[in-house]
Amino acid sequence: MKPFDIVIVGGGGAGLYAAMEAMKTNPALNIAVLSKVYPNRSHTSAAQGGANAALANKAKDDTVEMHIFDTIKGSDYLADQDAVDVLCSEAPKIIRELENIGTPWSRMEDNTIAQRPFGGAGRPRCCYCSDKTGHTILQTLYEQCLKKGVKFFNEYFALNLSVSGSRSNGLIAMNMKSGKVEAFPAKTVILATGGYAKMYWNRSSNAAGNTGDGQAIAYRAGIPMKDMEFVQFHPTGLRKSGLLVTEGARGEGGYLLNKDGERFMARYAPEKMELGPRDLVSRSLETEILQGRGFDSPAGKYLHLDLTHLGADLIKSRLPQIREMSMNFEGVDPIEEPIPVRPTAHYSMGGIDTDNQTRTVMEGVYAAGECACVSVHGANRLGGNSLLDILVFGRIAGRTAAEEAGKFTPNTISEAELTEQLQEIRGGMHAAGHYERYGELREELGQTLALNVGIFREASLLQKGIADIAELKERFKKVRIFDTSDVFNTNLMQVLELKNMLDLAETVAAGAYARQESRGSHTRIDFPVRDDANWHKHTMATLVKGKVTLGEKPVTMGRYELQERTY
Amino acid sequence: MTLPTDQHTEGKKNVTFRVFRFNPQVDSKPYFDDYTIPVEKGITVLRSLNYIKEHIDGSVSFRAFCQAGICGSCGMRVNGLSQLACTTQVWDVLAKSREPGIIKVEPLRNLPLIKDLIVDMDPLVDKMKRYSNWVDSTMPEAEMGKKEFLISEEEFLRYDKATDCILCASCVSECSILRANKEYVSPAVLLKSYRMSVDSRDSLHEQRLAELVKDHGVWDCTHCYRCQESCVKSIPIMDAIHGIREDAIESRGMKDTSGSKHAEAFMMDIEKKGKLVEATLPIRTNGVVWTMQNLLPMALKMIMKRRTPPPPPLVKSAKGIKIFRQMFREMTEHVKQDHKSHQ
Ligand SMILES: Cc1cc2nc3c(=O)[nH]c(=O)nc-3n(C[C@H](O)[C@H](O)[C@H](O)COP(=O)(O)OP(=O)(O)OC[C@H]3O[C@@H](n4cnc5c(N)ncnc54)[C@H](O)[C@@H]3O)c2cc1C
Ligand code: SF4
Ligand code: SF4
Ligand code: FES
Repeated sequence: MKPFDIVIVGGGGAGLYAAMEAMKTNPALNIAVLSKVYPNRSHTSAAQGGANAALANKAKDDTVEMHIFDTIKGSDYLADQDAVDVLCSEAPKIIRELENIGTPWSRMEDNTIAQRPFGGAGRPRCCYCSDKTGHTILQTLYEQCLKKGVKFFNEYFALNLSVSGSRSNGLIAMNMKSGKVEAFPAKTVILATGGYAKMYWNRSSNAAGNTGDGQAIAYRAGIPMKDMEFVQFHPTGLRKSGLLVTEGARGEGGYLLNKDGERFMARYAPEKMELGPRDLVSRSLETEILQGRGFDSPAGKYLHLDLTHLGADLIKSRLPQIREMSMNFEGVDPIEEPIPVRPTAHYSMGGIDTDNQTRTVMEGVYAAGECACVSVHGANRLGGNSLLDILVFGRIAGRTAAEEAGKFTPNTISEAELTEQLQEIRGGMHAAGHYERYGELREELGQTLALNVGIFREASLLQKGIADIAELKERFKKVRIFDTSDVFNTNLMQVLELKNMLDLAETVAAGAYARQESRGSHTRIDFPVRDDANWHKHTMATLVKGKVTLGEKPVTMGRYELQERTY
Repeated sequence: MTLPTDQHTEGKKNVTFRVFRFNPQVDSKPYFDDYTIPVEKGITVLRSLNYIKEHIDGSVSFRAFCQAGICGSCGMRVNGLSQLACTTQVWDVLAKSREPGIIKVEPLRNLPLIKDLIVDMDPLVDKMKRYSNWVDSTMPEAEMGKKEFLISEEEFLRYDKATDCILCASCVSECSILRANKEYVSPAVLLKSYRMSVDSRDSLHEQRLAELVKDHGVWDCTHCYRCQESCVKSIPIMDAIHGIREDAIESRGMKDTSGSKHAEAFMMDIEKKGKLVEATLPIRTNGVVWTMQNLLPMALKMIMKRRTPPPPPLVKSAKGIKIFRQMFREMTEHVKQDHKSHQ
């Protein structure tokens, strides 16, 4: 089989932009996009808020430089400043490009792209399409890829890279419809598989499939993971599902109440109250719960987001989406009752280490989007910067791979290697002695992460978390796959996803244990302040002989000196 | 496979999910499996299916991803109606269930079955390609990224609602024409086609329209409103269908793509496959009078009124296809003559 020039794993915003740009760079190339769900189902569709770009449509004095500063400050100075430069400088161009190919942006009165304020930004520079920005961007990119005739392999589950020494020969994936394990020999592979925040399971706002598959694939191939300990929590996830109740609810005047009916934010942010920054509000909710002022339920402890005083009219007209969500997923009508909420894992800052051109340390392997860590978000990403990240670096990945594909001649992927993979994923899984239920393991993983590697971290908790993950990995060896068929075996797929989460959870916990400081989303009770002297650096987690091994990498500076992060 | 019933506490109800099963590797035909589980208020059909999969039978197969009603993966038929499992409350369904305590879950219709509740979405993607469901920008590639098109709020509002579509295929599953003719363009694809055509950045308008007025295209729609009634995002799909028809008549003229010509083809369809189509004709749900008033002279009405009539009231079965045929011929003649006199 003739190798593909580029195999893109992932059909979210990053993967589709890469495909589109690669076709544009060199239409003669043979490109494939693999995705475990139809591309238009990717999690990019969930982004409601918008994407940042200093278009200066709304605030005429906005500049790229201000966007750069906000991003670096927001990252608690852990972002690489040259990468942030790329991100913000490319932003206006890429948002216009998306506009030019049909993205239905909301409009200002002068008919230019509309912009609104967003957390942590000094100017209103978040471009949006109502409350469905990610959805419309994803649709537009998918449509354009169909137009360009991109070859899609939908519902293919990527398993591993095929590696010879320091370079990759391509990808091995399972066709969900047939259950067959197939080879995708390729000169270059772009990993664009999205984030890993779903490892917190019921305490995550993410789609069921945001299980960090691409990161786990890269990690198993020996590629380092950068800054994995940084996971962003959003203050208001629904109690049962972790799904997001957006800031809008508090923006319109919603109260956060504990079980004594007290507006507890008065204790933590007496001026801003419910409207304090995301990480502060998350920590406040968590503190209330930890100190026993939360409500109890079988689904865990929670607090109230109370909108009842806003009245039916306002709720119906201004917050219809939130009302619908709360009715659909909690069975609670916020006009009559408060919404049960608690903080939820929302975004993964860490990921596959890449340079500014999206190259990884392995020849022919690139990564972009939430699965990569360039790093532009450092210790904390700003709202509206991740859609931007996937677009900008998705495009760079497509272009770079297209330009560099000619340099590589991959080896063939042997039948034996495929058989081995098949054996590994299916061998023995239905056998007697396999009794562990993946659903339970998955839930327990989420629980231990939320409790021990969650918002508040501490040496003893982290040790507990690390031990729990190790135990879950042991139990995983006895996991049972109940569905014995080849055709569309979602049971098998979920077990493979669980394996990926377990592999990555280890790196998250290890990084969190090692980093003895508090920075951005990473809060250590035992090390409550930022420690620039010892920890102004990236952690790098690499798999060596089956064990996570931590290294480090300096942060690229050059624009702004370290300052305290205050708002 | 039943959980102990003593779990029936005040806040919980025992619910039996009657799930459509089919594994092409071993089953020669589909069957149903019953799973009874306790369900409290606030639980969705999807969460129940997840529970069944995790705790009772790992082989039950269905798609789900976002679990928040935005990705469109979990379309299925719940008690006969196509909807998203992740936004459908079990207790709400129970309240309307014909058989108390039982919820029947089946795959979407009109798309090839793969396994259990999973159907093949490729035919829909193929149609999106056939009908160029994309904006072909008037801006040359080399110029892109330099400046914005200026677009008015008014134009934005023309396609805003249509861009809510999450391609869940619920409307596809409910479409009455698709049941008889799998080649038919499909409501979601009509919606998307319309969305592209009213976008001033697009240059493919004529080409797309030419495809839409061919066989299996926009004129095959029987105007039955089922797609719109079942749309999970409450999108006025009929506005798009009217919009395309109106557009076709306006820009291509009556002679070429006329409603009458297509109405004739439609009529022949009725004559050829009388029984089949009778089952799907709008008169069955809408009544003869409504059908006469709305479907047949629609081309004219559209030109004059330029708006979508409200969904018709449901009326029990029609008087008969015979009267319908007779009136149909007469009305078609009217339309033709009327139009001539307008020119
Ligand atoms: C609720 C919510 C709201 C958000 N709101 C905003 C916002 O307002 N602004 C903002 O900037 N950001 C927001 N974000 C973050 C942003 O949406 C994501 O970071 C971004 O969409 C990720 O895009 P991606 O292309 O990297 O990955 P995704 O869109 O997650 O796509 C990943 C792709 O990889 C594929 N894939 C994964 N694993 C495999 C495998 N094993 N084999 C084959 N294919 C695979 C999937 O099928 C999918 O196509 C939000 C996130 C959430 C959860
Ligand atoms: S109105 Fe037309 S497209 Fe909609 S369901 Fe009826 S026949 Fe199908
Ligand atoms: S039009 Fe509505 S029902 Fe049809 S696919 Fe789109 S969202 Fe689903
Ligand atoms: S799972 Fe995404 S719409 Fe239901």
